[in-house]
Amino acid sequence: MAHRILICDDAIFMRTMIADILTGAGYEVAGEAGSGLQAVERYKALKPDLVTMDIVMPDMGGIDAVKAIIALDPAARILMCSAMGQQQLVVEAIQSGAKDFVVKPFQPARVLEAVQRALGG
Amino acid sequence: MTDARRARYVALFAAEARSLLTSARRALSRWQEDPAQSDSAEEIFRALHTIKGMAASLEFNVAADLAHATETTLSDVRRGEQAATTPWLHEFEVALDRIAAECESAILEAGGEADANAALPSRPSRIVRVDVERLDALLGNLGSLVTARQELERRAAADTFSPIARAALQMSRRLDALQDRILDVRLAPLSEVFERIPPMVRDLGRSLGKDVTVDVTGDRLEVDRAILDQLAEPLLHLMRNAVDHGIELPDVRREAGKRPGGRITVSARQDGDAVIIEITDDGRGIDREVVARRARALGILAEDAVLSDDGLLSVLERPGFSTAAQVTDVSGRGVGLDVVVARMRDVGAALSLTTILGRGSVFSLKLPTRLGIVRALVTGIGEERYVMPLTHVIELVAWERDLVGQQDGRAVLFVRGDALPIVDLRRLLQYRGGDPPTRRPAVVFEANGQRVALLADAVHGQIEAVVQPIDRPAGLARWITGATVLDDGRPALLMDLASVV
Repeated sequence: MAHRILICDDAIFMRTMIADILTGAGYEVAGEAGSGLQAVERYKALKPDLVTMDIVMPDMGGIDAVKAIIALDPAARILMCSAMGQQQLVVEAIQSGAKDFVVKPFQPARVLEAVQRALGG
Repeated sequence: MTDARRARYVALFAAEARSLLTSARRALSRWQEDPAQSDSAEEIFRALHTIKGMAASLEFNVAADLAHATETTLSDVRRGEQAATTPWLHEFEVALDRIAAECESAILEAGGEADANAALPSRPSRIVRVDVERLDALLGNLGSLVTARQELERRAAADTFSPIARAALQMSRRLDALQDRILDVRLAPLSEVFERIPPMVRDLGRSLGKDVTVDVTGDRLEVDRAILDQLAEPLLHLMRNAVDHGIELPDVRREAGKRPGGRITVSARQDGDAVIIEITDDGRGIDREVVARRARALGILAEDAVLSDDGLLSVLERPGFSTAAQVTDVSGRGVGLDVVVARMRDVGAALSLTTILGRGSVFSLKLPTRLGIVRALVTGIGEERYVMPLTHVIELVAWERDLVGQQDGRAVLFVRGDALPIVDLRRLLQYRGGDPPTRRPAVVFEANGQRVALLADAVHGQIEAVVQPIDRPAGLARWITGATVLDDGRPALLMDLASVV
C-alpha cells in the first residue's frame, strides 16, 4: 500500500508542487494543511505515515506544530521543508523530533530521497 | 517539468504572490500609521518569505533574490537592530513595489496572464430570484417521483430484457440527473453567512478590548439553502466563543510571548460531497484540566480518566455544561456548544475540536452540501404523519391482543418469545385528538443495541424522503430531526428513532 503523506505549507503553490512530486513517485497525499494548528488537527484525523512541514506559517509555526505532533505521537515521521536562511530553526525542529529537512527550491530527487529515508528509518 | 504543469504553477504563483503582496501592502500602511506595533511586520515577513520560496521554485531568480534581500532588511527591524523610522518605512514600500513589478514581469515572461484584478468587465447577470418555498415544493415532487421510480423498477425487474425494463432504466438515469439539477438549484454560497463574520468579530473585539483580525477563505463554496440557513447561528456562536473565550487581552498575550493582536481564520474547503469549515484561533486554547475537574465533579467523567480532544468535545457539548470561566455576557449563560452541536447534527454535520493550551483551538465542521434522500416508513397518528428512516426498522408487527402483556410493570410486546418494551407514539407526541383505533401496528426497531416496539395508529407505506432541516423552536422534542414532503404534498416530520429510546 502506498504511504500516506500530509503536506503542511501556507502556500497552495508549494503544496501543489510537493503533492506533484510525491504522487509522481507513487505516494498518496493524505491531506494538506495551511497552518501549524491545522497540521496538528489533520495529523490527528488522518494519521499519515509522513508529514512534510513548512516552518514559517500563520497561527502556529512549523516548529511548534512538530512539538505538538510529536507529543501526540512520538513515532510521528516529519520532514521539514524550509527556505534559505532558516538553518537555526531547522536545527530546533530536528531536536524537537523532526527526522530530516529539505530546502526550497525543491529538487524532486532530493525530496524523494529524504521522504524515502524518513519512511524507512 | 512539463509545459502544462509549469503553466499551472505559474498561474498558482500569480494568484498567490499577488494576494500576498496586497496583504503585505495593507499591513505596511497599518504599520506606517502605528510604527510601534509589530503584528504588521510579522505578516509582511511571512508574505515575503512565501514569495521567496515560490519564486525560487520557478527559477524567478531576480524576484526571489529581491524578496530575500527585503526579508533580510525586515529581519533587522524585527530583531531591533534597525528602527522602523519613517524614511525606512518609505524605502521599504519602494522595495515592495519593486518585488511586485519583478513578479509581474516574471509571470508575463513565463506565459502567465497579466494582472486583470481591477479590470474585470462585469457581465450582465442573468439571475432569477425564486422563493425558497417553491424550491421546497419542487423537492416534494422529486421525492414522490423517486418513490414512483422504485415501484417501476420493482415491476421491471420481473423481466429485465423487456422494452419496459429498458425504458425504466432510461428514466431512472434521467431522474438521477434531474435530481442532481434540482438539488443544484438550491445551492447558495457560504459568503452569505461568512460576510457577517468580520464586522461581528470587529465589534465584539472592540467591546471586549481585544485586537482581533479575521481571515475568511473559501466563501465561494456552495451548500444547500436549507443547510446554509441552519449554519448561520451556530457558526456565529463559534465565532463569538473564539473572540470571547479564545483570544486573550493584548497584555495577557504579550506576557505569554504572543503578538498582542489575536487572529481568527475561517476557512472552507470541499471534501468530496462535503464542505469542511474550520475556525482557527490563536488564543488561549481550552484548559482540559479545568473542564475535566468540573466533569468529575458532575460525575460524568471517571476519576482517573484523561480527556482527549474528542472526549473534551463530548463533555463540552453536554446540555448545560459550563465552567465558571465560560459564563460571560457574550456567549450566553452556559448555553453554548450543546446548542451548536445539536444544530449541526440536525443537518447531518460532524464537529471536531483540536485545542492546544496557550496556542489556540480549531473547530472543524463537516457539512453535507446537499440534502439527503433516505428510504423511510410513513406512520400515522390520527391525521398526522410521521416519517422514520428505515435504517433502524427491523419489522412491522400486526396488532394481536395476545401479543401485549406486562413485565416488571412495563407494557411489553411479545415478538417470537422476546418481550420488547412498548413506546406509544400517541403518548410520545402527547396526542389528544380522538381515540386510537382498536388494532394498532407496531414498528419494531433497534437503536443503541436495544429493540423497541413503537405503536402507531397506522402504517402508510414507504417513501423516498428528501430530508430538510427545520428551524427548531424551543421545546421541540429532540427526536424530531427534520421535515419532508409526502407524495400528496403534505409536510411530515421526520423522527430519529435512535433518540426515542
